[in-house]
Amino acid sequence: MRFIFLFFLLIFKNLDAFEYKNLKTNSGIEFWFVEDKSIPIVSVSFSFRGGSSIDIKDKNGISNLMTSLLDEGTRNLTSKQFKNEMKMNGMKLSFSTQKDKIDGVFQIISAQAKDGFDLFYEALNHPSFNEVDINRVKRQVISSIKIDESDLSTLASNKFNQHFFKDHVFSNNIKGSEESIKNITRTDLVNFHKKSFVKNNLVIGVAGNINVNKIKKYIELVFGELKDNQQNYSIKQFKALSVGQKMFEMKTPQSSVLFGHPGLERNNENFFALRIANYILGGGGFQSRLYKNIREKKGLVYSIYSYLLSYENDGVIVGGFQTRNKSVFQTIENVKNEWKKLNKRGITKSELDNAKAYFNGSFTRNFTSTLSIARLLQVVQYYELGADYFIKREKIINSLNLEKVNGIISEYFSNEKLFFMIVGEPEKK
Amino acid sequence: MKIVGILFILLFCFESKSNINFNAKSTTLENGLRLIVVENPRAPVVAQMMWYNFGSNIEQRGKSGLAHFMEHLMFKGTKKFPNSYYSDYLSKIGGSENAFTSYDYTAYYQIFPSQHLEKIIELEADRMNNLTLTKKNVEIEKKVILEERFQRIESDPSAQLDESMRTVLFPNDYYGRPIIGWKHEIENLSYDDVIDFYKENYNPNNAILILSGDIKFKNAKKLVNKYYKSIKPSQKIKLDKLNNPDLKTSTNVELSNENVKQQIWKRIYRTKSYNDSMTQSIALDLGMKILAGGTSSLLYEEFVNKKKIFSMVGGFFQGLTKGNGYIYFYAIPNKKVEQFEISDMLDKFIVQAIDEGISEEKLILEKKKYYFDSIYGMDGILKPAEIIGEALTIGLSLDDIENWNDKLDEINLEMVKKELKEFSKNRNFVTGNLKN
Repeated sequence: MRFIFLFFLLIFKNLDAFEYKNLKTNSGIEFWFVEDKSIPIVSVSFSFRGGSSIDIKDKNGISNLMTSLLDEGTRNLTSKQFKNEMKMNGMKLSFSTQKDKIDGVFQIISAQAKDGFDLFYEALNHPSFNEVDINRVKRQVISSIKIDESDLSTLASNKFNQHFFKDHVFSNNIKGSEESIKNITRTDLVNFHKKSFVKNNLVIGVAGNINVNKIKKYIELVFGELKDNQQNYSIKQFKALSVGQKMFEMKTPQSSVLFGHPGLERNNENFFALRIANYILGGGGFQSRLYKNIREKKGLVYSIYSYLLSYENDGVIVGGFQTRNKSVFQTIENVKNEWKKLNKRGITKSELDNAKAYFNGSFTRNFTSTLSIARLLQVVQYYELGADYFIKREKIINSLNLEKVNGIISEYFSNEKLFFMIVGEPEKK
Repeated sequence: MKIVGILFILLFCFESKSNINFNAKSTTLENGLRLIVVENPRAPVVAQMMWYNFGSNIEQRGKSGLAHFMEHLMFKGTKKFPNSYYSDYLSKIGGSENAFTSYDYTAYYQIFPSQHLEKIIELEADRMNNLTLTKKNVEIEKKVILEERFQRIESDPSAQLDESMRTVLFPNDYYGRPIIGWKHEIENLSYDDVIDFYKENYNPNNAILILSGDIKFKNAKKLVNKYYKSIKPSQKIKLDKLNNPDLKTSTNVELSNENVKQQIWKRIYRTKSYNDSMTQSIALDLGMKILAGGTSSLLYEEFVNKKKIFSMVGGFFQGLTKGNGYIYFYAIPNKKVEQFEISDMLDKFIVQAIDEGISEEKLILEKKKYYFDSIYGMDGILKPAEIIGEALTIGLSLDDIENWNDKLDEINLEMVKKELKEFSKNRNFVTGNLKN
């Protein structure tokens, strides 16, 4: 444990210099890779389509439970041994179930790469799913569901999903319910594991200090044994999102309000126009109209925001705030007014220029760590944004003019399609 | 614009704070401003962090929340760059920003493309001295802060319990006062309070500017000098060092709320800090990791794996503090258990575990993890600035930070056991219970 000398290399001075390699392993697994020698770490970001959207009926939460068990031991190692091995090698491994996919991150200190990738292989391909571990993790998930139920903002978010997405699978809680968790058996988990981790639903991005031959070998080791599965895990379009208002009573001094509206899928040609519109409305940190007009000018809320949730075949715009029970309806009116103003009058030239400058300028932030580079490589593949995305992106942004963005705004932003979920005990108007 | 509370610290503490050689370069201007530069030209991006070496610790009695209030108001503009000019500028160049207030420090940061370095340095320098505030700014922002308090504390029973436990544990100093302030005191903060606080404290000799990323020390020095040298120093902050009395009673705090669906048991101990002793604190930290850190700790093994009483149990040591540090424990029972029963079983087990469970093998493992985590801490540009800024503002030196891992090497099993034994005799704690 002495000093480590780091030689920082000038690698990403500008976007044109950002070069990734599209590699293929022996068995044909493709992945994108950036060799970054500035730090002795390798980061792998990977994603499997599916996630909680392919949960089994009456066994909601199975995807989340399955991924929570992946660092709990393998065919050769008990949970405890596996965790010790991770520490010994400076390895990080985490999985998170999303509505439409399972995201994973693996990181290893370069010098420990061999042992690290071996452990990664075992965890992904041969998890033990030991009954004792299953029962323990079930208890943990159930506690966490109960904690969520008493946490105002998490409860509001779950209630929002339940009512906004209605009959769509996205209305389900990713963690499931106490009851559905209890229904899940070991066999269910083993089968679900096989069903989730299939080659044709996988995308991988890698960055860090490792050479091309080695990383190809390791990616083959970890993912090479997975089967193909012709089933399509793409999510269905949202046919009927709720509109209007829904209320869930809870005794608390503030209410949490979430709102939703239809949006666009990530690879839609108009996605960036919508992204810019949302940045101006509620996305841009201390810049947005919602922030400036509802927090800064009126002091009604501490935080207010909106963001795009864009998936493979569809998307939504979601926003939220918390405010004292007496000002809930006043704040909702304010949000509706901003929505209407945007729809009727659009954005201004200077707002557009600022937003474009923001999206052009902020992109290099993705290059500041091996993990953020790996993630970027993974996401671009996941949404099929194209091998030339890094060059194309600036052109897409610069091609947007006021007419185009305002056209899309008048087409997409509609007060009639807004839905508000209120959790708390707001005072009547 | 946030408060560094338990949650922030939880996130931070599970990553170790140690590091290996940032090769940080440092200089101090005549007016007392300290400049630290961590060169890392991997991507054309710079992180600027301005750390003020005070937080809620310098608030007068009756003025709780003032430091955090001030932090919010620092975004309101100056004569030269009025209103939201700074934030607007940052967003136009694709930057991001935020700020946070803790007991011992207040920090502001921006991440932005490096070609805009000079302007961002100018903007940060400008708001140290030239803030223009109107009474209206202050009144509206007070409403925002009250909403923030309602969001973080009044709507969250668990946070109310933590707040209450701290008042018991630190009856005589600022660690017992919430950073965000008591509701009734926030309501009474005035325009004059804010202006006085700003003039007295926002000064170069109370500040450390850290620049990390695509920047050269030489250039940083030149630019920082250009924009800061005209700002006059003021009196150094004199912090009354208040100690807390030893607690003579055992205190159990309970919060019962109809919305609570899951019981949570908690305990906080008043402890030493890295300021008292680096080596002892690292030993204590390692010991706590073996005893209570993560899902392979002794506590987890006993109560989650073996006895199946809790779904989770854990704890950590936070000693990056100017005054006392603290140790935090929590347990989440699978079925309802009385508070005193949980306290009893944990107390008994901890004494036994320190005697029998702390092995050389476990220590080696934790030291390895500690060391590897310090490498991860260098992958990025903001984290080095965070680590350095926090350590310096609480009173450690740059050498302390750069040589951290040498100190880690020195730690042996005896030292860890000694710290844990001392801890097990610590009577300065308060126990909390969150229930339906």
